[in-house]
Amino acid sequence: MRTGCDEVALHASRALTGKEAGFMLCHDCHCVIPIPDGMRGDEHVEAVCPRCGALVHLRYPDSLTYTWALVITAMILSFPANILPIMKVDYLGSAEASTIMDGIIYFFKEGSYGIGAVILTASILVPLFKIVGIILILLSIHFRWKSWLRHKTIMFRFIEFIGRWSMLDIFVIALLTVLVDFGFFSTIQAAPAATYFCGVVISTMLAANMFDTRFIWEA
Amino acid sequence: MIQEIDPDKIILCPDCDLLLEKVPVESGCRLVCPRCGCVLVSPKENSVEKTMALTVAGLLMYIPANFLPLLTFDAAGLKSTGSIWESWLSLADSGFVFTGVMVLLTSILIPLVKLLILLAVTIAIHLGRSTRATALLFRWYHHLDEWGMLEVYMIGILVTIIKMLHMAHVEYDTGFFCFIGLLSATLCSSAAMDVNLFWEEIGRQISERERLDSEYPCGQAPGLAGGREGEKAL
Repeated sequence: MRTGCDEVALHASRALTGKEAGFMLCHDCHCVIPIPDGMRGDEHVEAVCPRCGALVHLRYPDSLTYTWALVITAMILSFPANILPIMKVDYLGSAEASTIMDGIIYFFKEGSYGIGAVILTASILVPLFKIVGIILILLSIHFRWKSWLRHKTIMFRFIEFIGRWSMLDIFVIALLTVLVDFGFFSTIQAAPAATYFCGVVISTMLAANMFDTRFIWEA
Repeated sequence: MIQEIDPDKIILCPDCDLLLEKVPVESGCRLVCPRCGCVLVSPKENSVEKTMALTVAGLLMYIPANFLPLLTFDAAGLKSTGSIWESWLSLADSGFVFTGVMVLLTSILIPLVKLLILLAVTIAIHLGRSTRATALLFRWYHHLDEWGMLEVYMIGILVTIIKMLHMAHVEYDTGFFCFIGLLSATLCSSAAMDVNLFWEEIGRQISERERLDSEYPCGQAPGLAGGREGEKAL
């Protein structure tokens, strides 16, 4: 019975969306709610979900504006996050501050390519990909590019998924500050870029949260 | 426009708003949106009970994982040790309050709140006593979900170990193994969870309860029943 049913794809006779049929979806519990008759065609229709009690909108209100604002915030914050030092190492009394890039170069010079690649991905490539990806999707909605709809949705889902992995560097620094405390011999402390980097992660995650993928399909 | 569609017999894709017919799906199978590829339904067997068991396992590991020493670095006889709890404290103490609080939230508080919510929700569903509060808790779970970052923290621990390998001798302490247990239990509990089933059960139990309340109003505080009615109205 269960063989060959890993993915049951449904076949709609023609693509009819909930909005056209007069239904909206609660994004918390995925309950389908009929739009009251008088409100059809109103973009800003609101209702309380009968199942979970959440406030339901046809589309997230001001979704694109919030996403733009948060992506631009992330862009601005990434400059200090990458230029300023993120970690300060005290070794036998001499302090040395290093940026994110210094840390990665250090690993590559040491010959630990695997770990260098992990940090490079998590702290440089992932935030860059998130910002560029979200901006591309926003521009495509703005200029009404109607191609690659499925791919853009899949890319967004990927951006949502990788968002949290950029916190890796912050966690490593948090652990190093507590674990590498050998008194005057050697200590490690966080440096200003840590705060900015945290800000980049939060704002890109919020940007992805605020974005409503259904706008891709309505461009 | 199209009036004859019954909202109980359709699914809307959350990512592209495609309207689809609701069909029964066997456990182990998935229902995927044909237009954008979003996974719509993925039923699992004994989802409620499995999730509850894994949540309890996670909660048992929680305190040792966060408060017992995680690792000890031994550099030429000098020893340095610390726990996950101390990692946010040391950041906050050295003046990075914002970053420290983010570490506290993402790796300590939100994972705990997620486990507690899941325990309360699975118990309520299992006993058939879901209320509006259960629905509210489960909504919070969805909003908190991606802000709990235990697996990222785990990779962070591994990176730290590799970074220190050539400078110090690394000793693995009890906290390290408890953290692996906590992480596994948390990951498995969210993998065992069938979100659609949970919401359907919560919805069914709430409406059942409200139907009983309205049929047998005596013994119920009238203020309470009135409050629920008020919430129900659009």
